[in-house]
Amino acid sequence: MPADSYAVAITVGDTIRARRAEQQSGTQHPTIRGSLAAQGNRIDDTTLIREAQQGNRAAFEVLVRHYDQSVLRLALHLTGSETDAQDIYQEAFLKAYKNLGSFRFECSFYTWIYRIVTNLCLDHLRKRNVRKEDAPVAVDNSGEEYSLIEQFADARAGANPERDLMRRELGSKIGAALERLTPRERMVFELKHYHGLKLRTVGEMLHTTEETAKNTLFRATQKLRTALAEMR
Amino acid sequence: MKCDWVQQNILFYVYNELEDDARYEVEQHLARCPECTNELKVTRKFHATMSQAQVAEPAPNLLAASRMRLQEALETTSQGGWWRRLIFEPATWLRQVRMSPALAAAIFVVGFGGGIGATYNYLGNRQSDNRPLVADLSPKQSPIEASAITGIRSISQDPGSNQVSIKYDTISTQEAQGSLNDQQIQQLLLFAARNNYNSGVRMDSVDLLTQQPNDTRVREALMYALQNDTNPGVRLKALDGLSGFIRQDATVRDAVLRALVSDASQGVRLQALRMVEPMKVDSNVHAVLARLAQSDQNPSIRSQAQTMLAEIPEMD
Repeated sequence: MPADSYAVAITVGDTIRARRAEQQSGTQHPTIRGSLAAQGNRIDDTTLIREAQQGNRAAFEVLVRHYDQSVLRLALHLTGSETDAQDIYQEAFLKAYKNLGSFRFECSFYTWIYRIVTNLCLDHLRKRNVRKEDAPVAVDNSGEEYSLIEQFADARAGANPERDLMRRELGSKIGAALERLTPRERMVFELKHYHGLKLRTVGEMLHTTEETAKNTLFRATQKLRTALAEMR
Repeated sequence: MKCDWVQQNILFYVYNELEDDARYEVEQHLARCPECTNELKVTRKFHATMSQAQVAEPAPNLLAASRMRLQEALETTSQGGWWRRLIFEPATWLRQVRMSPALAAAIFVVGFGGGIGATYNYLGNRQSDNRPLVADLSPKQSPIEASAITGIRSISQDPGSNQVSIKYDTISTQEAQGSLNDQQIQQLLLFAARNNYNSGVRMDSVDLLTQQPNDTRVREALMYALQNDTNPGVRLKALDGLSGFIRQDATVRDAVLRALVSDASQGVRLQALRMVEPMKVDSNVHAVLARLAQSDQNPSIRSQAQTMLAEIPEMD
């Protein structure tokens, strides 16, 4: 279970009301917070999946809440574009909803949903490679271009402007190095380095073996090291 | 050799992807090998460098907007049915078959058996194709598909019997044998009388059909031949065949009268005239005879018609 998922100890039917209240207030619904603190148990994914498979949309929406933040983070980091990340998020969960009936509990729901997301991201990366946009420049929701790497740096921006500048430079180098990887290498590196997944899980998500994922990671790091060395 | 192995695995050591025993071996080696320790430092530095581009959590607004958008889309989306599941993951099927040897074996056996059956069927059909197609028609056999008959090649009757032999074409030439009363034989004869390009065959078929004019279909075929056949010999035969019905069947009488008035062959007209003679008191026949007696271009027909009319006793 991903670290960012949270527990919800309410009946599935109540979740719509809870969620709407949450959206209106912009914070988590007090009922949910209260129940989290008080009971500490949660409706497990299996129950939610079975409910959702029987057409309970509220149950599916609770499931979405368990995973959507990390899905969006992955898509955002890989695409560098809020718009693209939102599109991937949307497409992935709609696809999951439509095909939930084919989920047979052979793997965890976490792996299943990530499989859908990684496939969509790979498609996106392949298309982008065809377009061959060399500069890691992306477009945000307002249509304004910004550097993907600057965004990394911004996240850690402190009071020291000199350090910020260095970070920006390093960030752009890392971005350029990552661009040299194939979509698959990029995906394996992303899932391992930035999302901390086990290579066995990465292999499962990408329909391959742990050994192949290992080799891909090895190749990716060699390429990155070479690229970074060239940029010094 | 040991250094090679360690240096290949140092990355996975840093990423915490080694099994416990391999991790122990790497640590043991690093403790006494400065070269590999240096490689560890380089790898850790690389790891730290890459980590500087750490992923930020998506902005709360972005997450909220994405959730809203998804929620709206879900309201108009329905879950796929069972058929969609089959399409979505055919790989799951294959995996299940692979995982169930009994099912896989059963499918194999059924497929193999089906294949053998189909092969026998095919070979059987091929053998029967090589034989001449002589259909010994028994009354049980169903009628031949009329659209399948492309032409009749020949018709012959065994002397002294009512057995008929007809060679007819479908896609390939076939032969049918059977009694004149046989449904298929009659069907072929009727077909030949109406459709055949060979006038000799039409003649034969009409000739044979005259043996059974009681059948209304036969009578219709004879009338059709009388009216439409291009060969006067065939028309004469048809006229002969119809002669027995001129009294009882008004349509036959009309057909004969039409032939009498408008047939291109004088022989056919004279024959028709002879046939209607016993019916000359019939008003239709009388009117036709009167017209012929008055204005027919053929003097022989004109005079015969006049004679016939003169012989009708006056009705006081």
